Amino acid sequence: MKTIRLAAVLTLPVLFFAGIAWAQTDPGVRSSTGVNAGQPFASVSASANDFAFFQSGLAQFSEDQTVIGDNPGLGPRFNLDSCGACHSQPAPGGTSPASGIFPGIGPNPQSQVIANGVVNGSTNTIPFFVQANGPVREARFPFFFDRFGNPNPNAPNGGVEDLFTVSGRSDAGGCSLRQPAFNVAGVTRNIIFRIPTPVFGAGLIENIDDSTLLANLAAQAPFNRVGISGTFNHNGNDGTISRFGWKAQNKSLLIFAGEAYNVEMGISNELFTQDRPLPGEDQLGLGLPANCLNLAGVGYPEDITHSDGTSASTVTSDTALFSVFMQFLDQPTPSTIAPGGATSIANGRRLFGAIGCAICHTPSLTTQASHLTSDLSNATAKLFSDIEIHHMGASLADNVSQGGAGGDQFRTAPLWGLGQRIFFLHDGRTKDLLAAIEAHQSNGSEATTVEELFDLLSPGQQQDILNFLRSL
Amino acid sequence: MNMHPRFSRCLVFLGFSISLLARAQGPSQSGGDFSSNPHPSVLPSDVILVKGAWSSASDSVTPLPEGGRVVKNAYTNPYFRLTYPVSPDWTEKYSGPPPSDSGYYVLAQIRSADRRKAISRGSILIAAQDLFFTLTPAGNVLELINYGKETLNADYQVEQPPTLVTIANHSFVRFDYSSPVAELHWHVLATQIRCHMVQFVFTSRDAKLVESLVQEMTKTTLPVEAGPISGRGGGEVPVCIKDYARDENVLERVDPVFAERRFNPVPVRVIIDKEGKVKHIHFLSAFPDQAKAVSDALFQWRFRPYLRDGKPADVETGILFGRSPRRATSSASEAVNE
Repeated sequence: MKTIRLAAVLTLPVLFFAGIAWAQTDPGVRSSTGVNAGQPFASVSASANDFAFFQSGLAQFSEDQTVIGDNPGLGPRFNLDSCGACHSQPAPGGTSPASGIFPGIGPNPQSQVIANGVVNGSTNTIPFFVQANGPVREARFPFFFDRFGNPNPNAPNGGVEDLFTVSGRSDAGGCSLRQPAFNVAGVTRNIIFRIPTPVFGAGLIENIDDSTLLANLAAQAPFNRVGISGTFNHNGNDGTISRFGWKAQNKSLLIFAGEAYNVEMGISNELFTQDRPLPGEDQLGLGLPANCLNLAGVGYPEDITHSDGTSASTVTSDTALFSVFMQFLDQPTPSTIAPGGATSIANGRRLFGAIGCAICHTPSLTTQASHLTSDLSNATAKLFSDIEIHHMGASLADNVSQGGAGGDQFRTAPLWGLGQRIFFLHDGRTKDLLAAIEAHQSNGSEATTVEELFDLLSPGQQQDILNFLRSL
Repeated sequence: MNMHPRFSRCLVFLGFSISLLARAQGPSQSGGDFSSNPHPSVLPSDVILVKGAWSSASDSVTPLPEGGRVVKNAYTNPYFRLTYPVSPDWTEKYSGPPPSDSGYYVLAQIRSADRRKAISRGSILIAAQDLFFTLTPAGNVLELINYGKETLNADYQVEQPPTLVTIANHSFVRFDYSSPVAELHWHVLATQIRCHMVQFVFTSRDAKLVESLVQEMTKTTLPVEAGPISGRGGGEVPVCIKDYARDENVLERVDPVFAERRFNPVPVRVIIDKEGKVKHIHFLSAFPDQAKAVSDALFQWRFRPYLRDGKPADVETGILFGRSPRRATSSASEAVNE
């Protein structure tokens, strides 16, 4: 009798672990096949002038900015001191890094700003949501606080609350600024996060004509037996379809670069010509204190086109070079064999289409003729996005409105290069691809039925989809 | 204009009071110390507080297409006068998104779970497409489903092409297809009610299960008008006519004045009473300021009263304000036009 009971006890754990072995899992960041992103287009490499331009853009993209000196203008408020620090995974132009996955890149650089001397530790603290192994983050308060510290749902904010200030730095003079009230925002749930969007292939996205996007929207309609029906965000100036950023709120890479230089690093430029106060400082009607203005001592805008330059690269402003760098970055190259093997990846790709994922995550769109470089012309952009904004439901909603996008609407995230991303969703809330898929269903989400169809698949089929996604 | 002195004093006092109130509330802030308030109010989680273009209506009484609910084992929709019984082991876990600016509605998403194995067995999607605003070149449900079949990806297999079927004295278009790679079967039943395609989409790995769901449609109640090429209202509800707001029927027109330049389509369904006045407006998708501007304008419009069998009758039509995202549609038979 005892023997039978012991056998039963032993059998149960074996069955349990066998069940786990059958369960589908995220294969994780694809590193064994190398880094398949971050290279310029072949047509750029083939042109000495274009390649020099690209290299200058890469150098500027990677450069650390300071308040004064050779790379002036940092602050007075900022999220980090370099484009490349945030957009680094798995190569310059990518997204948020994390230690231990691509060891050459290192920990979240926002967690190291005091150790690295970028900010003064006596005047700045590392916000609670910045972790060494977590994503680089931008923070926003969906609503303004009243004077007692209560978030006011009748006063939408949504602007970026920069994490750090230059206060206490030896090159910041008497500028004294406090960090936003991140802890109160956390306690009151009045804070949301965004992680950097990768910009590989961004020039291709920029070069898709509106007519192509509209035709794709119309082509989605007959397959609308899964609950999907998106729309576009538009540029407020000319009414054309905007396409960059988590809510497709930015029209072009030049605007995207100019805004980021100003908002993320505090560097005024020819598109965004003033140093930027926090949304609350604007609302108070005071703006930035006088002793925090023109800290670089060069006047405004801090980044300009250089009339005394001797070559295209030295004449061009940093902002324009960032834009050129992004325009000339080729799309990532997917793996055909890893993870899971060629058969699983091919099967996963077909399943991805069969259950409706590919309606929003449109596998490819064709670009129009380009004046920049031949590889941008009439090219197949394998972006896995329709560039539309979709209702993603209450669980993903960040209650930030940008342009025509409401608090729960997000651009379909392009999936190219996903295999080498570490963090998923707009706020980097998960590293687990399966959890990211599951987050697509909630009250008010267009993707709930598609996620239900994913649940109807067998574990092996689900694993094929995960392998396919990690091959991108 | 002469203003009574007492009235003007009241206005001044009111304005002064409002300004004092504004000062007392203080300016909005991004941050601060706030240590004097150890228990600040906390925002709810998982709630959409900031909405973009959304659905709304000029009153809260008139039923709307998105107003259906799953209650007590049945999905009931007063607008479509539709009741669909839901078996006890099928549940609606999540509500759908708001109507889209191309007139698409997710009415209900119902799923079944195998309780012992905690795995999903099937999915039921009840959806609607407003035929006044569809992006697909089709004038009725039969054309719409046929178009869907013609454009079906090669990875799917057609199990039964669009066919007219009768279930519980109501006719539907039935369309069955499957995905060999996903091992999933889709059975679609579609009908037309009030110039909308209303469709039931049953999906499962189990072909018998989806077939049983089709057979259980006999328990569904639908209005008399329902049918693949009928479904144009009338009787207890307004007749629906596409483009009734064309020039020859509009006797007085006031254009809406939009305070802010936006670029979204603003599809609107209006019900016009027997005297030619607008009595109800349903905004499928509009920002609040757009809805107000359109309401202010539309309630001033006057239409030629619609006559049915020589007698005035309520009529329902669609008007698109703002930007049209649509390609020009063409249809062999614009069945929703009269």
